[in-house]
This record gives sequence, C-alpha cells and structure tokens, in this order.
Amino acid sequence: MTLIQVGLAAGVILIGVYMYVRLRNTLFDVFLIGLFIITGTLLVLFPEYSNKIAHWAGVGRGADLLFYLSILFLFFLILKLYSRLRRMEQNFTEIVRNKSIEDAEKLEEKN
Amino acid sequence: MSDKKTIFVVIPCYNEAGIIRETIAAIIEKDYSIIVVDDHSTDNTREQLKEIPLIYIRHRLNLGQGAALQTGISVALKRGAEYLVTFDADGQHDVNDIDGMLQKLKEDQLEIVLGSRFLPGSGGNISVGRKLLLKAACYLNYLFTGILLTDAHNGLRVMNRHAAKSIHLKENRMAHATEILKEIKKHDLKFGEFPVHIHYTGYSKKKGQSLLNSIRIFFDLVLNKIFD
Repeated sequence: MTLIQVGLAAGVILIGVYMYVRLRNTLFDVFLIGLFIITGTLLVLFPEYSNKIAHWAGVGRGADLLFYLSILFLFFLILKLYSRLRRMEQNFTEIVRNKSIEDAEKLEEKN
Repeated sequence: MSDKKTIFVVIPCYNEAGIIRETIAAIIEKDYSIIVVDDHSTDNTREQLKEIPLIYIRHRLNLGQGAALQTGISVALKRGAEYLVTFDADGQHDVNDIDGMLQKLKEDQLEIVLGSRFLPGSGGNISVGRKLLLKAACYLNYLFTGILLTDAHNGLRVMNRHAAKSIHLKENRMAHATEILKEIKKHDLKFGEFPVHIHYTGYSKKKGQSLLNSIRIFFDLVLNKIFD
C-alpha cells in the first residue's frame, strides 16, 4: 500500500463516519453512506478496478471516469444548493415584508 | 372614501431622495392614494416625505424593486384598493397617462394595462441604444412567457383588484417585470397596452438599467425558469 492510498482511504472512511454521526440519517442515507465507504475504499486500494469499469463504460482511464462523474455530481449539488437559497430568500423576504408593514402600521397608530 | 382614493399608486424607491418629492407632488394633485415603499434607502428619502399625506413603508433590509412592489401591492390590497398603479420613483413617468390607462382598463374590460413607450401616440426621448435593448428584451420576454408586447420593463402599469390579488412576485430584483407577464399568463388575466410618455432626465438615466444589469436580469430569468 502506498502512502497516497492510506491517506485517501482514511479520508473516505473519516468522511463517511462523520456523515453518519453528524447527519440525522434515514435508512436510505445509511445505505448510501455505506456504499460510499465501501466503493471508495475498494477503488483506492485496487485502482485497477476503476480502470476496468472505465473501459467497460467506454472511458480510457478510471481517473477520467471519476472526473466526469464528479463534475456531474458537483453540478447537481450547485443546483440543489441554489434552489435552497432561493427558497430561503423568499422566506426572509416574507418576514422582512411583514415586519416592515407592521412597523408602518405602528407608526400610524402613534400619530 | 372617494372614488379616487381607492386608486392606489405604488411607488417603490431606493435612494431617490433627490427627485421623490417632485414625482409625488404631481400624483397628489390627482388625489390618488399613494404608497411609497422605501427599499431601505441610505439617503434622506424618509425626511423628504415627512408631512406629505401618503402611506410610507420602509423595508428593514434592502430586498430589491420586485420585493418592494409586492410589499406595496399587499398593503394596497389590505387598504381596500380597487385599482392599483405601479409607478417609478425617478420621475420618468407622466401622471396624466394614468387616467387614460384607467379608462382603457374599464372600457375594454381588461384586468391589467401595461404602459408602452413604443405604441403610436407615446412620446419621449429614448436613445437608439436603449430602444434596441428594450426591443431585444421584448422578444426575450416572449421567449420566457409567451406574451409579445411592444415594450419591456416599463414601470407604469394599471391593474384592477383581481389582477393585483392574482399577481404574486417572487423575483426580488429586476426580473419581476417579466414575472408579471408570467403571472398574467398563469392567471389568464386580460391585458392590454397603452402608449405612455417618458421623460428621461440625466437623473433617471443615471439610475436606470445598464447593459450589465440586463445580463443579470437574464440570469435571474433563467434561474426562475429552472426553479419555478
């Protein structure tokens, strides 16, 4: 085992454990996290498997396949985050609006 | 409440202290109800409006023109508005156009009338560059909403209570102008256009939309399309 393999495998396992501990998980999440740890560690320890999968998918190298997949995944994450951001903005707009209208009504009552 | 007082003019403003009094003076003469939504201005807009009989709402945070408009619409509805006018704070609109728009609304039994700077009978000093940009925006709006108008992003609109109730703006910034068209389509509101007069001053030009801003609006629209 090379040094990079030790580092990467440890990283994958740590992230997996962290997700399991910190996030309130449904059974499905636990399954996903488990899958992530197992495939992640296996691919780090036996990189030739990723090459085989890549060849099977029509990509030259395993590293390239991983690269393509992660771009897709990151893009999905950005969209997901953005839609959450929009929802948050709509919520706080509603709060600020109601508060501001209240302010005006209070001021009117005073006068 | 007199008839004219059930017509509410909603004016969203942000740092318009230099011109807001002038804009409002013309509307007061017409005896309409006025709602100014101050989108957290950092100048002395509030002081400028003291002693003037109007409803003044100040956003606790700066949210954007679309959000300010929606706040004004909500307040107007709460206060029993029968008709609602949206009006820019920078003094580019002509108050006298409101009467004609209201008349068209009633006569043609429409629910919302949108001001246009490009219909025959309209007037104003629009530069060629701005004209081209607005025309491009018209077609873009058509692409996004399926409604083709002669003008885009014109701040002068007149609607009845039903339309005001139907329209709910979620776009806080400038994309709200297109969102209004989307809402018109969605709620199947009967709409029309009316030629209006525009007076661009050095002031309003400086405060108006730049090309760079249009690009931002475009991205807001794309995101609106994806997420709504």
